[in-house]
This record gives sequence, C-alpha cells and structure tokens, in this order.
Amino acid sequence: MIQLENLTKRFGGLTAVNNLSLTVPKGEIFGFLGPNGAGKTTTVKILSGLMQPTSGRALVDGIDVAKDPVAAKRITALVPDEPFVYPKLTGSEFLYFIGDLYAVEPAEQKKRIPELLEQFELAQWEGELLESYSHGMRQKLVIAGVLLRRPSVVLLDEPMVGLDPKSARMVKTILTDLARDGATIFMCTHILEIAERLCGRIGIMYDGSMIEAGTVAQLRARASKELAAGIGSRVTLEDIFLDLTAARQCAPL
Amino acid sequence: MHTSAVLLRRRVLSGFNNIISMKSWEFFVRLGFACAGLLILTGLYFWFYRVLRYLGTVQIIGPLLPWKLTAMALLITFSMVAISGLVTAMTTLYYSFDLKFLFSSPVPVRGIFFDKTVETAFYSSWTLAAVLVPYVFALGRVMNATPFFCAYFLLLVPFVLLGAAFGIALSMALMYWFPTSRTRDIVWLLSSSALIFVYMMLRFVQPERLVRPGSLEVVANYLQFLSAPTAEYLPSWWVSGGMLAFLHGQYGRFAQYCLLLALSVVVVYGLLVYVSKWVYMKGFSGAQEGMRQNAKGLSPEPFERGLVHRELLSRVEGTLLWKDRKLFMRDVRYWSQGALILAIMAVYLFSIRQLPIEGRDLRSLISFLNIAVAGFVVASIGLRFTFPAVSLEGKSFWLLRSAPVSVGRLLREKLVLWAAPSMLVGGVLVAWSNILLDADFFISALSLVTILVTSLAFCVMGIGLGAVFPKFNVENIHQIESSAGGFIYMACCMGYLAAVLSVEAYPVRVHFLGKFTGGATWNWGWLALCAAAYIALNAAAMLIPWKMGLAVVERYEV
Repeated sequence: MIQLENLTKRFGGLTAVNNLSLTVPKGEIFGFLGPNGAGKTTTVKILSGLMQPTSGRALVDGIDVAKDPVAAKRITALVPDEPFVYPKLTGSEFLYFIGDLYAVEPAEQKKRIPELLEQFELAQWEGELLESYSHGMRQKLVIAGVLLRRPSVVLLDEPMVGLDPKSARMVKTILTDLARDGATIFMCTHILEIAERLCGRIGIMYDGSMIEAGTVAQLRARASKELAAGIGSRVTLEDIFLDLTAARQCAPL
Repeated sequence: MHTSAVLLRRRVLSGFNNIISMKSWEFFVRLGFACAGLLILTGLYFWFYRVLRYLGTVQIIGPLLPWKLTAMALLITFSMVAISGLVTAMTTLYYSFDLKFLFSSPVPVRGIFFDKTVETAFYSSWTLAAVLVPYVFALGRVMNATPFFCAYFLLLVPFVLLGAAFGIALSMALMYWFPTSRTRDIVWLLSSSALIFVYMMLRFVQPERLVRPGSLEVVANYLQFLSAPTAEYLPSWWVSGGMLAFLHGQYGRFAQYCLLLALSVVVVYGLLVYVSKWVYMKGFSGAQEGMRQNAKGLSPEPFERGLVHRELLSRVEGTLLWKDRKLFMRDVRYWSQGALILAIMAVYLFSIRQLPIEGRDLRSLISFLNIAVAGFVVASIGLRFTFPAVSLEGKSFWLLRSAPVSVGRLLREKLVLWAAPSMLVGGVLVAWSNILLDADFFISALSLVTILVTSLAFCVMGIGLGAVFPKFNVENIHQIESSAGGFIYMACCMGYLAAVLSVEAYPVRVHFLGKFTGGATWNWGWLALCAAAYIALNAAAMLIPWKMGLAVVERYEV
C-alpha cells in the first residue's frame, strides 16, 4: 500500500509537489498523469527514496520512506524512465547483482534468472555487456530485475518507453498479474491509452497538485459539460486529460 | 562558418550562465582556488629561476645548458600535450553527451568536428601551457630579457595547439582503423604501454648526467650534444630556436620560426577539418558499438564468497565488491593506469637507488623524509582511484539509492576494495627504499608503520571526500580528479603529511641525537604527547571526511 500525507517538495522557490495526499491500496494499479513538470517523477523519486520530501510523509506498506529507507526499499521496486545500468556488466550478471542486492536466495536466482531472460527475449544476449544493449533491452532487463524479487510496491516512471509492441503487451500483462497477486502499482505515464486500459484509478497532476483522481468512469462523469456536450459518450481519457489541464493552461482542442 | 558561430554561441551562453548563477560562496571558493593556483605558479617560477641560474654558472658549458634544458622541457611538454590530447579527444570527440544531439541536427560533420576539436585542444593544453608561463618568465630573467620574453607567450599558443593536434590526429586514426570496442581497447593499452616505456626510458638514461660532463666518455661528444638542436623538426625546437635567434639579434630567423609555427597550425588543423568529413563519422559510429563479452555471470564469485563466508563482509558488501571488481577488470583504461603506477614505482625506486648520499645516518634521515615523497605518490594515486570511487557509480547510482543498501555499507565496500592496494603501494615504496638506503631499524620500522597508516588514512579521506563532492554526471574521470573536491582532497593529504612529519619529528630527533651522543634520552611526557597527537590526527583525518561523506550521500537526491 502507498500513502502520501501532505507531501510537499520544494526546489528553492519552485514547489514541485504541493501538499499531495493520496492512498493506493494493495492490488491496485494507479495511473499518475500530468503534463511535463507537473511533479510526477518527483513524487516517484520521493517514494523510492531517491529524494527526501520538504514536508509531509510517504509510506509504503506503513513504512515511512524517509525514516526507514532501507526497510522501505526492501519491499519497493523502481523502474525509472532512463534505465541507466552498469555498462560493463553482462545481462545475466546484472540480474544476479540485483538478486544479491535484494537478498534473493541463490537457488531461486539460479532458477528464475534464465527464465526471466527467456521471458524477456534477452537470453541470447545474456553474455553481452550492457553497453551494447538498446534502450528497450535495458528497460526490459530492469523490469526483469523487478520480477526477480517480487516486491509489494512497484513504482514505474514511463515504463513503456522504448519497448517494442510485443514487450509492451507482456509488461502490461505482468503488471496486471502483479496487482492480482497483491502488489501495489504506481505508474507515471504519458500514454493515456495504457492508463485507460490498465489502471484501476487515475490521478491527474498539474503544477504540483492533484487536480482530479478516480476511475475513468468517475473522471468521465466529472468532465466539463462543454466537453460532454461536444463529444457525448465517446469521451476518452485523452479528452478528459486535455479538458482538465487545458482549463488551467489553454483552450481545449 | 555560421554553424561554428551557433555552436560557439552555446558555449559562450553556458559559460555566462554558469558565472551569473554562481552563488557568493561558490565565487569565493573559486577565487580561493585561483589564488592557490597562482601561488603554485609563483613557487614554480622561483624554483625554475634557481635551477636556470645555477645551470648558467656552470663553467664553460654554462651558456648552453639553459637552452638545452629549455629545448628538452618544451619537447617533454609537447609530448605531454600530445598524450593529453589523445586521452581528451577519445572522450570529447567520440563520447560527449551532446554528440548524439549534434549528429542528429542538420550540422555538417566538419562543423561538429571543429567545435569538438577546439574543446579538445583547450582542455588538453591549458594546464601545461600555464606551467610554461613561470618557466618563460624565469628564463627571461636569467637572460636579462623579461619584457621581450613576454612576447613568447604568443608562440606558446600555436605550440600547444600543434601538440594537441598530434593527439587528436592519433585518436582519429585509432577510431577510424579500429572502430570496434575490443580492438580499440587493445590499441589503447598498447599505446599506453608505449608511453610508459618512453617515460621509464627517459628516467633510466639519467638526465642528471647533463651537469656532470665527466660521466660521458668523450667531452667533445658532450659539447656537440649540447649545441645540437633537440628534435629540430618538432615545434618544441621552433619555439626554443626562435627564442635563441631573437636573443642573438637574428630577427629574420626569428620571423621564420614564428611563421613556421603559425602556418603549421593553419595547415594541420585545416587538414584535420578537411579529412574529418570522411574519417570522423566512421569513428563516431564505431564508438557506439558495445563490446561483445560472452561471459556467463554468477555473482559473487569465489573471492567475495570467501569473504562473506568468513563473515568479513556482509552479503550486500560482497556483492558490491564483486560488482566494482568486475567493472574495474573490464575497463581497459584502468589497466593502463595500473601499468603506469608500476612504472612510477620502478622509477621512484630507481631514483632512490641513484641518490648520491654517503653515511648511514644521513641515509636514515632521508628514509624518514621519504615518507613525505611516498605519501605524495600514494595521495596522487588516491586522487585517481579512491577519490572518484563514489562518483564512478555515475548515472547507475539510482540502482543503489533505490536498493535496501545503507550508505555506510556502500562506503565500507569501497574502502575494502581500495585500502589493501593503497597500503601495498605505500608499503612497497617505503620498505624497498629503506632497504636501498640501508636505513637503521628504528627509522625503517617507524617509516613503514607511518606509511601504512598514512595510506589507510588517504584511502578513507579519498572515499569520504569523494562522497562529500560527488560528481555523478561527468563525461570522464578527469573531470572528477580536476574538480574542486579533488583539489581539497590533495590539500588535505598534504596538510596531513606535514602534520604527521611534525609530530614524528620529536622521536626522530631524539633518535639521531642519541646516535651522535652515544645514547638516547627520551622524555616520556613528550613521547606520550606525540603519540596522543598522532592518534588524534589520524582519528580526525579518518572520521571527519568519512562522517561528512556519509551525511552528504544520505541527503543526495538523484
């Protein structure tokens, strides 16, 4: 479970996240949307322990990330938007490294790592240095590292960027399966189609604050009358997103 | 031309923004570094002046010696700029962050190459050119022609540009003919080995014999050697020859050398830019190919498993150690630097062996003072290996920061990795020197224990201060070494060495007094005070940077 309590993060005079409160229960896939610079990545960084909040709290399964970061990180997994990995390790070495870092039993590692490499179609590249991997391959490897340790909270920042359609579909299935098994999934994305199809609830960030949150049906119901009148029952998440953010920024399309 | 202007504008804007966004404390820190640099250059000036003045006083050959030394110094500078150009060009021309953006823009290849060449030439030559400034001033003063010698700084610009051009051309050739990673690594290693060989040869020919003509078999050969040009087809001789010609009133010859230098710069850089259209793109394309390793990975391997099994390391520390060891072994640049350290050690011990010192007591005293020199070598090696240890996690640092690993464990693992090699280098240098100097037992034991503790302290300071000044977003390791943090690390090491020698001066003094008077008279109170000061000094040197490093990395936001 994820709990954000009055979370605020300031960078000098800029407030990146402003008094954000949110609860994402176990087994839910929560989509985090918003224009560039809305504060999505900052929130994910605070949740994963890469940043400390200016005020407020971020909790994963009841553990305060700022107060007990090691315990929180033990049950959290992060997939960043830029999958920087050690270029001089090979694919399989990287997974063994992750396994050891997160104290996965050696026997489990030996069993699971070849399976994961096979599943992500990286088996033929397992002996290659990561410097020769493409962006998508590195992204798949990082996601394989997440699956190796079965975390209870998964934080994803634009996980589908760089993935081929087949891999993207596989990742969607994996996320659904993880949520079904009780994991909490928190996903930042700009691909609204993925958020619409995958997420139980969606939160829309704007200028550091969450301006709307709920299921797609709830968001659709709350969409402006002008939008509903103009498009009718064919209102998509993209329409809602643009309607909500454009109301604060510019005219709707 | 328009493209170059646009590319230049971004540099000017970045530099300008960097200055105006500077906080007041940053301004004062930089001012402090500038003053420290100026102080070092002033010190170098006086040292050069003393050496040149002494050479000028040697009978018969005195007037020739400063010029021979100048020609040799310029030759060495030229080769160092060329080496620096090679190393810098490998990064700036082929691995800069902005290259992908530039190559995807409608910018001609020659435009990109010219922009990166200017950057390479600047970064590879400015420090060496700065060191030449006090030398030229000192030479001018010795020759009683200081105002005139100031004009020679204009000659130094094309001189260092030509040196950098050698390195740039060599890097282009390497990347053109050996575009894939593995072959490039091998060529890189061979080139480094060749340079190390040249460095060792330069020392082993004993240049100190220059002021000892008797050591050469035929005096006539010696005089001929002194009056002959040093590498007359290289720019180093054109500069020194030009200086000499002007001093002797041969203005035509002086103009020839000036013209030669200027034309060479135009021709060499013009040629480089011309061929870059065909050569540069192929090299850049090859630089993006990764190395094929085909290694089956199991981590950690027996070495780390053994340490974990014996409970010397936790499982996480063992894993981190394995990771760092793997990365180290696979980066060919480390191998060449390892070889360079061995060469430095060999040259160091050779120099100790050549010291013309009579008497065991004096040799023992030198052995004590040798702690400072060996300590400097260990600190310099630390600047290359232990200080950047944290920063070298680079952009992959998010992996460790988001993992259940405390910062303390991360730093401890780095210490485990580097402490033993650091102490080994210091220990071998001092122990071997003691044997060569035939130092007495007391001094031998004292210097050996001191250098081992010093090496450990430098290792702790390197990792701690490296964590205080982390630089995760750098293009190459030189940016970490040459940062403000690197300077502070070296300054702390030098301060520590001075303090250690001061604290140990009392027991050493009593020891030598005892030798001369037939028995040492120890004041136990003073001795206890020295011991307490030594312990306090080491505790402060190790604990303060370590604690500061821990605090900074814990607060660091990726």
